[in-house]
Amino acid sequence: MTTSPRATSDSNGTIVRMQGINKWYGAYHALRDVDVQIASGERIVICGPSGSGKSTLVRTVNLLEPFQQGRLRVCGVEVDADEITRAARLAVNRRVGMVFQQFNLFPHMTVLQNLTVGPVWGAGVGRREALERAHLYLQRVGLMDQTHKHPAQLSGGQQQRVAIARTLCTRPQLVLFDEPTASLDPEMVSEVLQTMESLAGEGMTMMIVTHEMGFARRVADRMIFMDQGQIIEIARPDDFFERPQSPRLQTFLGQLLSH
Amino acid sequence: MTTHFVRQTPIDPRAAPVAAIAAPVRWRRAWFPTPAMSLLSLLLFALFALFGWRFFQWAIVHAHWRGMSSEACPGDAGACWAFVIARWKPWLVGNYPSDQLWRAWTCFATFALFWTWVVRRSHTASLRRVLLGFMLLPVAFFLLLTGGGPLPVVVPTRWGGLLLTLVVTLATFATALPIGLCLALGRRSRLPVARWLCGVFVEGMRAVPLLAVLFIAATLLPMFLSNGMNVDLFSRAVIAFALFNAALSAEVFRGGLQSVGRGQLEAATTVGLSDFAALRLVVLPQAVTAVVPALVNIMIAVIKETTLLSVIGVNDLLGAVENGAKSPDWIGESNILTSGHVFLALAYLTVCYGLSRYSRRLEVRR
Repeated sequence: MTTSPRATSDSNGTIVRMQGINKWYGAYHALRDVDVQIASGERIVICGPSGSGKSTLVRTVNLLEPFQQGRLRVCGVEVDADEITRAARLAVNRRVGMVFQQFNLFPHMTVLQNLTVGPVWGAGVGRREALERAHLYLQRVGLMDQTHKHPAQLSGGQQQRVAIARTLCTRPQLVLFDEPTASLDPEMVSEVLQTMESLAGEGMTMMIVTHEMGFARRVADRMIFMDQGQIIEIARPDDFFERPQSPRLQTFLGQLLSH
Repeated sequence: MTTHFVRQTPIDPRAAPVAAIAAPVRWRRAWFPTPAMSLLSLLLFALFALFGWRFFQWAIVHAHWRGMSSEACPGDAGACWAFVIARWKPWLVGNYPSDQLWRAWTCFATFALFWTWVVRRSHTASLRRVLLGFMLLPVAFFLLLTGGGPLPVVVPTRWGGLLLTLVVTLATFATALPIGLCLALGRRSRLPVARWLCGVFVEGMRAVPLLAVLFIAATLLPMFLSNGMNVDLFSRAVIAFALFNAALSAEVFRGGLQSVGRGQLEAATTVGLSDFAALRLVVLPQAVTAVVPALVNIMIAVIKETTLLSVIGVNDLLGAVENGAKSPDWIGESNILTSGHVFLALAYLTVCYGLSRYSRRLEVRR
């Protein structure tokens, strides 16, 4: 894929930098002193038990969730916990794409409209250019023949591939995946994972929350293990799966392998 | 017993069996399933037959059809349709000048065309055209009926009957819906002042009877306005209707907005839409489509509420009937007013039942 390198990553190629991020849901401490740096082109897979803060972490990156302490720098946009402005949220979201567990396609629009609405009304791309992009990425996810259908007429796997194409149409510098296969039938998981793998092969920067460990091992540059709102371990996939250091990760992996 | 089964020949799909129960059997099962139910059914039939026969006697057999004054309808035994037939003009158009009647007919014809060609054929794709029609028609009707320029001016006090009901209903809709939408959005606003104001207005309006609002608009409103601004009774009534129904539709819209999941707004945000664009392109289309049947229900209510206009002295359909029964030609027999009311009930029944069928169809289609 040709992501035109805009001058928004730092000089050393860092695209996300989280420093001392803390977030509470009411009294519940959901993210605790999170420090992460992600380089442009890196694939990060985040895993951990449910309620460990994985989703909250990726949703903090594109400011869907506000945080109460810490500093965040995403694609050149500096965000301070004290003032998360609408302008900052808009600037971040025009550079960062997201794929949701529940697809969240717009049900009242056709596939093609789903793909063009962001570029045309958000980024101000011309309609012709937006249509060209839409066709390009629909071809990429293998759904060229579905352009005029509505999302409800597609299978879950097809919907999620449309959602991936929709995000690519906005030419993001970073794509967040929040458990993209968790609500799919087993038969459809692989078609979505293949799409994501080919995307990774083209150098897209990705942060992926998933329980698909085989996929994680093939794709990830680094693995992050979270528990109780904290980052417990960050490692390369080989070390992560073969030589986990923390006892918590050891038991987690043990439980994954025992069934 | 088989423990390992493998299908050798696949089963082709077959048509579903057609219901083989004969009509009389079905009928018997529906009306006489148990002795108690049978008794109830018979009782209902008897009641229905009795009242149906009485009404038939009154409305058809003993009815008076011809005549130009109350002398045509002596006694209470039969309906006085002569009254209804003789006064068709005031009921359709009120006191609209006879030489300008084509303007009224144009309104009726335009609305009929709009209804049959646009509204009834609409599906979600052309919903926008329907809404646009409901916004533009009342403005066009108002301008055409009032006149000005080459057309002689006809003041709204001379309008009446069905024409007035139609224009008031449409004008109420055209104003109440946008205001209601703004109120609903205001209640979700980030600004506490806007939230508070909209909340107070909606809750206040919902807690006051419409008749009180109408009286306030008719008598109190002119006192607040400066002397130069002389708003006629018709417009004041429309304003009252609009504000009252705006509060009702605000609640309907609020439900619609809540029915659109949070994920939709998040997805719209992540494809780079601003808050306003997300509202306009993603949230509102879904919210409005979800509440169209409920909006039709409000419309039905508005049509029926217009009868309250006669209480504040606007010559609507009900007012036209009652004024007719008070006119020198038709005074005297109590049966005359009753016949007028029955006719009125049938007229409203036709319109409102049609609308409610239409809204049912909208619900089924989605």
